[in-house]
Amino acid sequence: MNEIESETTKLSSDKPYIQFQNVSKKFGNFTAINDLTLDIFNNEFFSLLGPSGCGKTTLLRMLAGFEKPTNGRILLEGEDISNIPPHLRPINMMFQSYALFPHMTVEKNIAFGLKQDKLPSNKINQRVDEMLELVELTEFSKRKPNQLSGGQRQRVALARSLAKRPKLLLLDEPLGALDKRLREQTQFELMNIQEKLGITFIIVTHDQEEAMTVSSRIGVMDSGNVIQVSTPNNLYEAPATKSVAEFIGNVNLFEGIYKGFDDIGTKLKCEHSESIVYSSQSIDAKNGSKIWLAVRPEKLEIFKSPPDYKYNILKGTVIDIGYGGSFSTYHVKLPNGNMISVIRANRERTSEKSITWNDEVYLHWSSKSAVVLTE
Amino acid sequence: MIKFTKFNLCALILGFSFLYIPIVLLIIFSFNESKLVTVWAGFSTKWYTELFNNQSIKDATWVTIQVAFISSTVATFLGTIAGIVITRFGSFKGRTLFSGMIYAPMVVPEVIIGLSLLLTFVALTIDRGIFTVTLAHITFSMCYVAVVVQSRMSSYDDSITEAALDLGCTPLKTFFVVTLPIIMPAVVSGWLLSFTLSLDDLVIASFTSGPGATTLPMKIYSMVRLGVTPEINAVSTILIGLVSIGVVSAAMINKYQKQKEYVQS
Amino acid sequence: MLSKYIFNGRNAVIAVPYIWLLILFLFPFLIVLKISFAEPIIAIPPFSSFFHWDGSFWPTIQASFYNYVFILEDSLYLNAYLSSLKIALISTLITLVIGYAIAYSITKAPTRWKGLLLLMVILPFWTSFLIRVYAWIGILKTEGLLNLMLLSLGITDQPLTIMNTNLAVYIGIVYSYLPFMILPIYANIEKMDGSLIEAAADLGCRPFKTFWKITIPLSIPGILAGCFLVFIPAVGEFVIPDLLGGTETLMIGKVLWIEFFSNRDWPLASAVAVILLAMLILPIMYYQKSQEKAIS
Repeated sequence: MNEIESETTKLSSDKPYIQFQNVSKKFGNFTAINDLTLDIFNNEFFSLLGPSGCGKTTLLRMLAGFEKPTNGRILLEGEDISNIPPHLRPINMMFQSYALFPHMTVEKNIAFGLKQDKLPSNKINQRVDEMLELVELTEFSKRKPNQLSGGQRQRVALARSLAKRPKLLLLDEPLGALDKRLREQTQFELMNIQEKLGITFIIVTHDQEEAMTVSSRIGVMDSGNVIQVSTPNNLYEAPATKSVAEFIGNVNLFEGIYKGFDDIGTKLKCEHSESIVYSSQSIDAKNGSKIWLAVRPEKLEIFKSPPDYKYNILKGTVIDIGYGGSFSTYHVKLPNGNMISVIRANRERTSEKSITWNDEVYLHWSSKSAVVLTE
Repeated sequence: MIKFTKFNLCALILGFSFLYIPIVLLIIFSFNESKLVTVWAGFSTKWYTELFNNQSIKDATWVTIQVAFISSTVATFLGTIAGIVITRFGSFKGRTLFSGMIYAPMVVPEVIIGLSLLLTFVALTIDRGIFTVTLAHITFSMCYVAVVVQSRMSSYDDSITEAALDLGCTPLKTFFVVTLPIIMPAVVSGWLLSFTLSLDDLVIASFTSGPGATTLPMKIYSMVRLGVTPEINAVSTILIGLVSIGVVSAAMINKYQKQKEYVQS
Repeated sequence: MLSKYIFNGRNAVIAVPYIWLLILFLFPFLIVLKISFAEPIIAIPPFSSFFHWDGSFWPTIQASFYNYVFILEDSLYLNAYLSSLKIALISTLITLVIGYAIAYSITKAPTRWKGLLLLMVILPFWTSFLIRVYAWIGILKTEGLLNLMLLSLGITDQPLTIMNTNLAVYIGIVYSYLPFMILPIYANIEKMDGSLIEAAADLGCRPFKTFWKITIPLSIPGILAGCFLVFIPAVGEFVIPDLLGGTETLMIGKVLWIEFFSNRDWPLASAVAVILLAMLILPIMYYQKSQEKAIS
């Protein structure tokens, strides 16, 4: 489907660290996970991304051991762990609610996992100090969770989950409760820690910006299925389906009829345009079948007079302009009523040539900037 | 925004007067020189001295205290397990019957519970005495403890248990090291509740007790039937005093602990 | 393999309280049922045995419905059952009105008073139930404190006979069971979303109407819980009708006690208990269902 090489092929020479094989999970009549197969490799920062209810948290909990798959197997380094209870798995998890032990100090919380392994106390103290330094909470070691701020509690939760030096760390929406600035700061901290300690991270999130920022690969999920697994770049520029294209970033979708493939590219006849429009990407479709053309808003050019291009031109009226400082978003209405978004950088401080409301404009994209989708 | 109106204040004053006036009168007349409840004949502690010399009351008190302590402790143990099973163990075979048996004793009339237990002891040829009363008290008390624990567990954050498991703690150890310390206030109030119920029980004790194991409520009941003497007032006042001291000190300990935590931060 | 260990451990934990309750709560009811089919005899224990061996291998079952027939034919028992229901129902309603007012007022009190007020509701409960009922004897009897007060204030010129009447029983039941009504209602109202009341006010609803149309309907779970906790045990009450009621106060708990202790007719007492339990089984099941729903 995608002609752009994904990083998966580079990694597939290694053996996968985690494998979900035909995993299904049913709760009564409700199917949360539907025959899912997925490989995750060592040292990845992998995100499970999707809307609420898509099954991503259920998948994570099955990996941690808090849910058992109804069907299928989960392998860790080649071994089936589906029947191993959570306290015996070499995996640690950071919970969305942080789940700090309210009756223990920060120190004791972090030391808890180490005590279960029956390490000698001087080793435990040493490791706890290391962790406190890592998350910069050394002065707060004797406090109890109810005496800490939200951001501090989150860091205790992180330190506690890393204390045992797990090879795999699961994070369930870890940044949801933080405000925007703290969230961005913590995203980079997480990436640094992951690289420094060489741990595989699997993070569950519904925030696609977050997933794009931190991940090496993202698995996009919907209704219990994985729709596409790829690098952030690939997902953005080469989405496999309309739902992926719409979920990640903004996109303009044109519905049309497949008219074949010539030396320019895939031909699409859609109602918006008198001419045929093109994408340079090839696609496996039958003549006359319905396909979609997807163009990201920043890939569209906008002109006040008809540009000198042979194809991929649309005419419309500017209905709305959103000023964003460094860029502007233009909402252009086509004759048939569809709305197109165009994002352009504001290259000049002022310009007589600038576009304003109710202007008649012409839009253009390069065939290389468009993607065609069959679903 | 929700105002505390005059009506509310009235309701509270009337309500609490209704609740407390009998108790206050009881205490006052325990110090009455005369035997009559309506005529104040002067301050006297003679009923208390008579109480001290009343061997049967002292025996009954001792029986009651033993039964209350043992039954509360065992009931708290069983009830805590039951409360956790009901909230955390999901579905299992026979769950409906189990939860039915947990809630029923709170509403089934005591005469029925007492009668059924007595007939059971007879059928199993167990001699009635302090042992059977204790068994009976454990049985109905554990249900109250279960309800208290269940209520606490319903607001308990499950992910804390999961975090402990995730960090390598076995389920059993997690209960003792993580869950129990957190729900301890509920467990303690369950114990106190059982203790009170046992201390207070007349009907079930009457059915299930035996010779030589007269409890204090049974003794008081027979005294009341025979005729009203202020010795009962004296006993009541002592009980009320002990309970009030207990409750007030518990509240003060609680407040002190909270202050200690606040200072430490 | 390890899952089997957990499987067994889990079952063992469930089994401990389960088996206890089976033996000491459920099994006893079956014994009551069995004995209700027996006849009273002069023996220890004073009833005929269920199984009768007369030489052959299998025992014959000696069961008679005599007790049930006796109960259903004698209007005394029917009246006692009905009277118990009536007294319990009226008491429950009175307790509801008073209890709701108190519970509601506590929720509206300033926060630092709430804990203290709740403690004051519970405190009488910690003291002896028997003693508190006894206290009312001193107040309600003809030479008691209430009459003393009414006479000296000139409100009445004859002492009121309250003691040993149904009225005294009502007072006693309401007094004793009030905490059981207050606590569930308080818990329910306290947890209610205050913004619902504010929304109603914002839409123009007057406070009294808001109370009727919003607060009360939303507090129905608490009301039901409180009513069950009062009504069901009150039907079978013994102490209160015995100490405060009169000879014409017919309550089934008292009847059962007399049959058992005074008449030593254990089988008849058992039959009385079985019928009482059958009457209450529907409310008991309903109560248990509402509690289970509250958990899930």
